[in-house]
Amino acid sequence: MNKFILFLVTLIFSASILAHGPTPQKVQESVTVNVSPEKAWELVKDFGAISTWLSAAKETKIEKRGEDTYRIITLESGDKLDEKLRSTDEDLKKIRWEITKGNVPFTDFNAYMIVSKGSNDNESVIQWTARFYRVYKLNPPIPEGQDDATAKAAVQGFVDSGLAGLKKVLESK
Amino acid sequence: MSKQKKILLLICAFVLASLVSIILLNKSHSVNKAYITNQGEDSVSVVNLDTLKLEKKISVGKSPLGISIVNSKDIAVVGNIESQSLSIIDLKVNEVIKTIPIDATPLGIVADADGSRVFITSWFKNQVLVLSTHDLTISEAFNVGATPSGITFNEDYNLIIIANRDENTLEMYDAESFKLKKVLAVGSHPYGVSTGNHLVFSANVYDDTVSIVNLQNWEQKTIAVGMHPYSVAANQDRLFVANSQGDNITVINLNNLQEVKLLDAGETPENIAIDAINDKLVSTNWGSDSVTVYDLNTLEQIAEIKTGLQSRSFGQFIYRK
Repeated sequence: MNKFILFLVTLIFSASILAHGPTPQKVQESVTVNVSPEKAWELVKDFGAISTWLSAAKETKIEKRGEDTYRIITLESGDKLDEKLRSTDEDLKKIRWEITKGNVPFTDFNAYMIVSKGSNDNESVIQWTARFYRVYKLNPPIPEGQDDATAKAAVQGFVDSGLAGLKKVLESK
Repeated sequence: MSKQKKILLLICAFVLASLVSIILLNKSHSVNKAYITNQGEDSVSVVNLDTLKLEKKISVGKSPLGISIVNSKDIAVVGNIESQSLSIIDLKVNEVIKTIPIDATPLGIVADADGSRVFITSWFKNQVLVLSTHDLTISEAFNVGATPSGITFNEDYNLIIIANRDENTLEMYDAESFKLKKVLAVGSHPYGVSTGNHLVFSANVYDDTVSIVNLQNWEQKTIAVGMHPYSVAANQDRLFVANSQGDNITVINLNNLQEVKLLDAGETPENIAIDAINDKLVSTNWGSDSVTVYDLNTLEQIAEIKTGLQSRSFGQFIYRK
């Protein structure tokens, strides 16, 4: 029941253009991978390949909408996430994207990953930075499950498991 | 050389030496500092723009975002989102001298021309709070439209100008009577605003544009900028726009509204301020926890300086003496 209410609230808020709270949350983590930056970047920039390294992303489909590229992710729970590719910078090895639709306990999510050189040519560092807000966008008191801590824990989970997955896939190739 | 000529030469040398020492003395007494709110660690970083070094970190309230330097009073007013308070920093000693509970969420902050009053947008309550800098108390508040975010003050027109983010409007209030003078529809999701001479600028986050309003005739122009613009700052000839998801800064020529250059920034650049005396531009990078300093003449990057977690500084954050 609670999950259903959370789902409804998330749906209502993600559909509206209502204000988000003024404090964006940040999760920024990195992982060192024993492959060259070029090799790591090849996988990181492959927008449709997220299901190969993020276990929560059961299935991913690339979709073109006009000029824009989207990936439609089906999560383990069956929920779908629409993510829009914002930019890819080959020089900086940086990819940026945002969530445009989805049933998740956070909102206004945008993120980027940067691949940089590690301590030698066959080592790279992948950094993932995410910016987002909590679900509840009005003045306190904040309902349970829609607060900053809940939003942050959910994103932290995605980021930690995603980076671990990237390392595993890249190093076993 | 005649004796008269020698005396004249000596006088000239003396005058010259005095002038040089006056200039040098002034130079050594000048202060150019950026005050950066670090929303992720409840502090304000003091960055020396001459030495390009982090000088000090000052603890403030919880989740500081907005800031306004009041040069004439040597104070900074910092808005703490989560603790719903203002921290007043004495800029001569870089210490918090007062914390003012406001029972409101402070977003944008701006001082009037002589620094006697500071205006603060109150996000959830749809008000503007008026802080008197004489006794550092909130002297009054007036009602405004919904989701008031960025705020700026135009001295020539004596107007307080605010961005109503979710209404896609700018509201202009008389700075004495606090009466609403004008409401203008602008681009989608206006957040940061600034003004110079007879122009007002708003960064429209959702449609990647900047609206330029002419206060003489209310004419409006819209220009395309980079991704997710958060803030704008202008000098006489140029407009600078921080594109928070483009990780860059658009530079626009104000005479023909053409793009002059796209400057690389740190990650998620949010706010920018101009040091007009030293021709420097400073941007705060939320993503890389730093500021980037640019030379306004060459439009080249001079330095990137680490500041603190989630650097934002929404407002005019440069102190110069």
